[in-house]
Amino acid sequence: MICVWCQQQFQPIIDLKALLTWRPLPAPALCATCTTRLTPITGPSCPTCGRRQATTSICYDCERWQAEPLKNHAVFQYDAGMKAYMQQYKFQGDYALRLALQAPLRQALRRQAYDVLVPIPIDQQTWLTRGFNQVTGWLSGQPFQQALTVKHAHKEQPQSAKTREQRLVTPQPFALVPQAADLLRGQRVLLLDDVYTTGRTLRHAAQQIYFGGAKAVTSLTLAR
Amino acid sequence: MNDLSEFFGRRLPAAQAVPELEDGQIAVQRIGQRYQCQRCQQWLAATDRLANGAWYCRQCLQMGRLTSQTKLYTISEPNRFSLPPGKILTWQGQLSAEQQRAATLVKTAVQQGHNQLLWAVTGAGKTEIVYPAMAWALAQRWRVAWVSPRVDVCLELAPRLQQAFRGVSQCLLYGDQSTPYTYSQLTTCTIHQLLRFEHAFDWLVVDEVDAFPLATSPMLQRAISRAEKKTGCHLFLTATPGEQLQRQIRRGQLTTTYLPLRYHGFLLPRIDLRLAWRWRMQLTKQRLPAKLIRQLRDYGCTQQRFLLFVPHVRDLPEIMQALNQAGIQGGASVHAGDPERAAKVQAMRDQQLPFLVTTTILERGVTFPNIAVVILGGDDPVFSTAALVQIAGRAGRSARYPRGEVTCYVQSQTQAVRRAQRMIDRLNRQGKQQGGRWPQ
Repeated sequence: MICVWCQQQFQPIIDLKALLTWRPLPAPALCATCTTRLTPITGPSCPTCGRRQATTSICYDCERWQAEPLKNHAVFQYDAGMKAYMQQYKFQGDYALRLALQAPLRQALRRQAYDVLVPIPIDQQTWLTRGFNQVTGWLSGQPFQQALTVKHAHKEQPQSAKTREQRLVTPQPFALVPQAADLLRGQRVLLLDDVYTTGRTLRHAAQQIYFGGAKAVTSLTLAR
Repeated sequence: MNDLSEFFGRRLPAAQAVPELEDGQIAVQRIGQRYQCQRCQQWLAATDRLANGAWYCRQCLQMGRLTSQTKLYTISEPNRFSLPPGKILTWQGQLSAEQQRAATLVKTAVQQGHNQLLWAVTGAGKTEIVYPAMAWALAQRWRVAWVSPRVDVCLELAPRLQQAFRGVSQCLLYGDQSTPYTYSQLTTCTIHQLLRFEHAFDWLVVDEVDAFPLATSPMLQRAISRAEKKTGCHLFLTATPGEQLQRQIRRGQLTTTYLPLRYHGFLLPRIDLRLAWRWRMQLTKQRLPAKLIRQLRDYGCTQQRFLLFVPHVRDLPEIMQALNQAGIQGGASVHAGDPERAAKVQAMRDQQLPFLVTTTILERGVTFPNIAVVILGGDDPVFSTAALVQIAGRAGRSARYPRGEVTCYVQSQTQAVRRAQRMIDRLNRQGKQQGGRWPQ
């Protein structure tokens, strides 16, 4: 097989367990070396934002968000490896790299309790230049509802290019789609995004989802 | 008008609409049942598709993504250069008699527009041999490029060319550079950068033509012929031509100039082979062969700087640790993916480091005066015959220190090692006939 990230030939390791489950053999998208470049979040983490840390108490960033609580889970740590991945996937636009994280995301979604999955949308301009929504790219057949849209067609400055202070004063960028109320009323909604940095974007989205009549909103991000 | 010079002889996507440009060509085109990238000429896989339905090329993604919605623009090369008032060649050095003979042959072949190969031993002074021909070409207002598969080679070469042709507009292009592109007569760049050019160069000098990744990449080989003008020609430089080139030489398809002797007239250092039984087992216990340690300690005592070549990147930390434990300290390790690679090599050049432990990335194109070379695990398949000859060629390059020691530790002899020894001996025999001698 060929690794989607480093494009090298590799031989997937098939253990006895995989053989005995009598399912189709696993077909990993990443080779062993590239898999180790990404660090999954295991062990103690912040209970509200999912950040990897030594204790299970609420982290400093989340304490500052007391007024707007939101429960987030994250799959991977946002470290040098994840940064390199995001650089190639999102900013260089290598859509094939979505395959690398479909399997971990599928597993993470299985552990979440929700009724409706709402991915964070991208604006019109990004859709034209990038050609894909980086979040829905990671979904492999799971049903989702595009209940949110971006109000402005074009963002002057991407979120990733701002400082923390600039991010926190960002005005509400999202709006509900017209049929959102039918989709969301009384539902448990799971928001899906790529990176949780300050939590500003996800809280803006959660606010809109609550306006749409959702019963509960939690979020899942690929990296924290 | 100034902005347009960016498109001279190149094929690029336009950042914003430029009204002067004619209709561009779509970057990813459907040809028959398949899609082909018009920059790197590679075929797309059936899965290389975006969510919005556009096709995109993954092969040259690092140079900026091209999709079936981007357009590439080009302006054919106008050769709009002004010549410097004085002499073009500002190089002060002297060519040896042997070099002079080769330089004349190279120049004649260029004047006749022939594709040619200069087969010169490591440390023969290939670069300088090309200078007279280069000066002639530049005087014809030719656009010339000096390309190499290795970025280290380009980085070392660019300042030398800058010195040698001071009045000529020059630019250096490579992957992670920060300076912008300028339209210039003499371009020094990695082969990958040629993908952005089309029919631009009247003469292309391809340095280290047998080096990875050029030797194994049809994409890069095609990039060379595409970057060359239809009326242009090229010169290949190498010390160790591969099978394919040697076949072309035998068939007489390539004008070839030989230079079996180094510029200082001394013969090539031979590879001293030593057995190191099961050194990998020792390494797991953080130990290196006693012979090796003794040799390196001697180098340390006599202030002799050295390069230690190892087969794989993953060996580097272990070997560094083992060296550290044996009291051989102060050096650094370097590999292709090392973020501080350029800085470390520069530090070695500036004589700030006593030694470098490296993978094969430093096998060619770099010159450190008075350096000893040690290869650990020379029987590993990564050390091909060409690689070994090149590595051995790092030693004894300067005229002041022509005596270089090359030691190769192997667990067992391999064909590649023996071939490398034979190749060096053969070149030395030819060199002796031309008056080469052993350094004292």
